[in-house]
Amino acid sequence: MLALRCILGDLRGRGRLLRTFVSSSSLSPAVRLTRRDVGPQQVRFTSQGRDSASAAKLKLRTRLLVTLLLGGGIVAVWWYVSWEKQQKLRRQRVEQLRQVALGQGTFSLLDHHGRRRTKQDFLGSWVLLYFGFTHCPDICPDELDKLSAVVASLDRDKSLPPVQPLFITVDPERDDVAALARYVQDFHPRLIGLTGTPEEVKHAGRDYRVYASAGPKDEDGDYIVDHTILIYLISPDGLFVDYYNRMKNQEQIAESVKNRINSYIKI
Amino acid sequence: MAAPNSAERKACWDSRDLLWKCLDDNDDKAASCQKFQSEFEANCPAQWVKYFTKRRDFLKYKEKMQKEGFKPAEGPQEAS
Repeated sequence: MLALRCILGDLRGRGRLLRTFVSSSSLSPAVRLTRRDVGPQQVRFTSQGRDSASAAKLKLRTRLLVTLLLGGGIVAVWWYVSWEKQQKLRRQRVEQLRQVALGQGTFSLLDHHGRRRTKQDFLGSWVLLYFGFTHCPDICPDELDKLSAVVASLDRDKSLPPVQPLFITVDPERDDVAALARYVQDFHPRLIGLTGTPEEVKHAGRDYRVYASAGPKDEDGDYIVDHTILIYLISPDGLFVDYYNRMKNQEQIAESVKNRINSYIKI
Repeated sequence: MAAPNSAERKACWDSRDLLWKCLDDNDDKAASCQKFQSEFEANCPAQWVKYFTKRRDFLKYKEKMQKEGFKPAEGPQEAS
């Protein structure tokens, strides 16, 4: 143990000696020069002094530049990485929506002019969809009024594409083409009412997991259909991206739709 | 039977509102508001009359729950 320490100490000592020897040898020529030549040496000394001062300034400038570049580089990398992460999150959310797969199917219905319309006809535009029925006492008219107001307010914003309002009936037995034509004229001019055979309507409703259940008929043969009260927002890809219930007012819905349109990524 | 149009809906809703105001003023005594009741039934489809009557009951019940609090029903008694 002691021997080891001796050796180490010896090595260290020798190293130190070596260093001092080297430094002294580098210094000595300069020292020797100063002592021998006074005149030119003095000039050399002062010029050497200025050089060393400007050299020091240069060194500072380069050091600063290098630090800034390095710092800038780090910030840029961090920024890029966080942007990448956001993109990844967005892609994940789109994937999730895809897996929920609401509205992935197609529907084929008649509009209130009697023309056949399928899901393909509405691809490429944003759609606000509401399921209801014309004999609805108060909720459907309220929601359709709200929907019409939302579309009207979005129309006023020239930077946004036109949103297509759709009304699909959950009561195909009573809501034929004529009934729908009468009904939709009370709301937004672009509102399209859709109906069809009970099979077609059920298929469309199933696509969006809409619940609908006709109540008991009274003496007039009148009945109320209990149904999901939601406004669905559908992207130009035909996929469901958001929904709005009765708690959301017109401004909130318009705001949300606008944000969705502006942050839309094509799949 | 065609669905009520916008004007007919509004007429129905207005008569319903009048009836409900009368009931509120008269502490839900249906007898005092016979006139409004018959007006309401004339303006609205039968199905809607039933619906709005039930709705009023529900709104009253909800108000009571919010004011007086909710006492959960007692579950099945433990066998002693």
